[in-house]
Amino acid sequence: MDQSTLALGVEAVGCAAFDAGIKGAFGYPGTPSTEGFEFVEALIHANPEGRVAQWAANEKVAYDLALGVSYAGHRTLVTMKHVGLNVAMDAYTNSALTGVRGGLVLLVADDPGMHSSQNEQDSRRLAEFAWLPCLEPSTVQECYDYTWRAFELSESLQVPVMVRLVTRLAHCRAALFRREPLAPTGLGVAPKATVQDWVLIPANARRRYVDLLAKQPRMIQDLSPLNRLQPGAGRRGVAVSGMGRAYFDQLAQEHPALAALPRLEVAAYPVDPQLETAFLALVDDVFVFEEDYPVLEERLGLRGTAKVHGRLDGSVPRTGELTPRQLKTALGLTAAEGKDAITLDLPIRAPRFCDGCGHVDAYEAMQEALVNLGVPDARVFGDIGCYTLAAQEPMGAIHAVVEMGASISMAVGAAMAGQTPSVAVIGDSTFGHSGLPALLTAADSGVNVTIMILDNRVVGMTGQQPSQALDQVERMVLGMGIPEAQLQVLTPLPKQHDANVKAMEAALQHPGPSVVVFRRECIQSLRRGVLKEHDRDEKARLEPACCTPEARP
Amino acid sequence: MSEARIHGIVLSGVGGQGVLSLAQIVLEALRRTGLHALQSEIHGMSQRGGSVHAQVCFSEAPLSSPIIDEACADLLISLEPLEALRYVAMLRMDGHLVVSEEPQINMEGYPPLDDVYAALKAVRGAHLVDTEDLARRLNHRQAGGMALLGMASRYLPVSDDVWRQVITQRFESKGVRVTEKNIEAFEAGRGLVQETVGA
Repeated sequence: MDQSTLALGVEAVGCAAFDAGIKGAFGYPGTPSTEGFEFVEALIHANPEGRVAQWAANEKVAYDLALGVSYAGHRTLVTMKHVGLNVAMDAYTNSALTGVRGGLVLLVADDPGMHSSQNEQDSRRLAEFAWLPCLEPSTVQECYDYTWRAFELSESLQVPVMVRLVTRLAHCRAALFRREPLAPTGLGVAPKATVQDWVLIPANARRRYVDLLAKQPRMIQDLSPLNRLQPGAGRRGVAVSGMGRAYFDQLAQEHPALAALPRLEVAAYPVDPQLETAFLALVDDVFVFEEDYPVLEERLGLRGTAKVHGRLDGSVPRTGELTPRQLKTALGLTAAEGKDAITLDLPIRAPRFCDGCGHVDAYEAMQEALVNLGVPDARVFGDIGCYTLAAQEPMGAIHAVVEMGASISMAVGAAMAGQTPSVAVIGDSTFGHSGLPALLTAADSGVNVTIMILDNRVVGMTGQQPSQALDQVERMVLGMGIPEAQLQVLTPLPKQHDANVKAMEAALQHPGPSVVVFRRECIQSLRRGVLKEHDRDEKARLEPACCTPEARP
Repeated sequence: MSEARIHGIVLSGVGGQGVLSLAQIVLEALRRTGLHALQSEIHGMSQRGGSVHAQVCFSEAPLSSPIIDEACADLLISLEPLEALRYVAMLRMDGHLVVSEEPQINMEGYPPLDDVYAALKAVRGAHLVDTEDLARRLNHRQAGGMALLGMASRYLPVSDDVWRQVITQRFESKGVRVTEKNIEAFEAGRGLVQETVGA
């Protein structure tokens, strides 16, 4: 048997980062990126040698942590999902101007088709926006090889490098061949002469922006080995990137005629315009297969006389995930004939709250309190997490879910516009992620909002990672300026229902901001014993040796 | 199975049933057999009792697409009868279906069970397995998945030895007894004399 191991695409990125000698890995959980961090975290815990792996409160914090490691001269990885990059965008775009010292690789996992996300934005566009390189692998082995390469490029070009995955590759499991790992040796802190590069006051930023633009031709040149032109035969060609490349390669195995088509293979952005022009000169028609936005398609469409077919002309559906079937259809291949589809009506089996989940008890208390106060139709602002499931009927308990932390600010805004009652529902981890500044504003505003913090003590939905807000929610709430009298901590259990309804009624009736924390550990993490050790240590800490039964005379 | 053809397996069920673990066992067994194999899965909300499915494809030649097109799967293994019906159109004309008869009714509007069974039996190459009865006989509550895999293994080019190795590796951290119970379930499934219906 060979020496490979099986790994997911995102895990291969984490593995390569470890092997390429990173000093620190950071991230915020989010499907489909989570396992990338978890993989490197496990490698680091097994063999620390001064390395660190740390979940951060949010993606911006994670990115800044990584930038600090880079500043100190070490290689570093930061991981997030596509919408997480919106949160880290300030840090990401500005780090293009500062540049990096130790190699900084950003793993972003996009979710075309929105399997587990609120949009299907394309991170290649954000890399372009920041004038930064983006590598796009199409196999698990490439995830590993390109990540390794991304560190080298990051250090030679002195910019952060994005490795962009999509769900299908992030969660594709395949054999992975590793290289001999490097020790985490650093370059040392940046020389004194470059200190001003990191200080983005206008005078420096103007100079650094010119430097960044001047770096673009070298960037294109250094990335060019990853983009290939295969001249082929005929005037009909294909341009492929990411999973489009993976699907096309597979089809070409089954249909050898496809392998002979002129082909532009893109795996790194920005693409050399000369390569695109050279390709377009070979063809009259080109089919573009890429995952998500028509990035390559638009570039090619602007550049030549060839007719470009893809998402914009309807050859491929405008939205959703790319599929091998879409390639077949666009290329005019006949689909195979298989068994007849079932005629029986098959209702959807939607995800639901786990049996015994505390979120259900919290929502039931809220709904009954609203009924008792004569406002059963009150609109409630929800947030991102397992508790988003309450938006589904028949519960239908929340009526807006936009992005991490939005619930609190939207409820405050609606209250300012006269909505009474105005209720926000947010989880403990989401609260730590983006709810804190919103609560500061809520407390300052003094408007009538009721904020429910559903504290299940972990990041439930993504696999029960530790919540940064663990055991600290009350202190955080008080610290943001909510008066002690307006903070209640409840236990969401059926036997507490009546008391919880009363407490919710009191909070809803209070004319200013109030916070109700519903705390009960996620039953999945409880079953797995995720917090067992933490709780034991915490108990020992709060109960000094002198007071334990054994110590008493 | 012809050389260098791409073979596909679809696995389906309900979150929490172990669809993804089963897919990983299949993937590892194929890889140990020396075949090129890829697995595709979707995570996220899956463990919350929703529909879950995974795909495994394999070939003698290197592969790049983890996704099987409709009508291209050779085998569908489903831990739940309704979840099997969703993927029947993924099967080739000569594809096989190995499915548990045990329903997971955690949803609104689950169709009458008789209709579900009738639709399954109308699929040529379908094997319905009474996993509930099997679990009782083996005194092993979670025998279903391994038993289905055992039955499905008839259609996969993997030796008994390799299956044993992979199942052992998968469960060894849980102790010898758990490992033995799972191998027993696998072998019981493999040995089931099951009437092929719909022929």
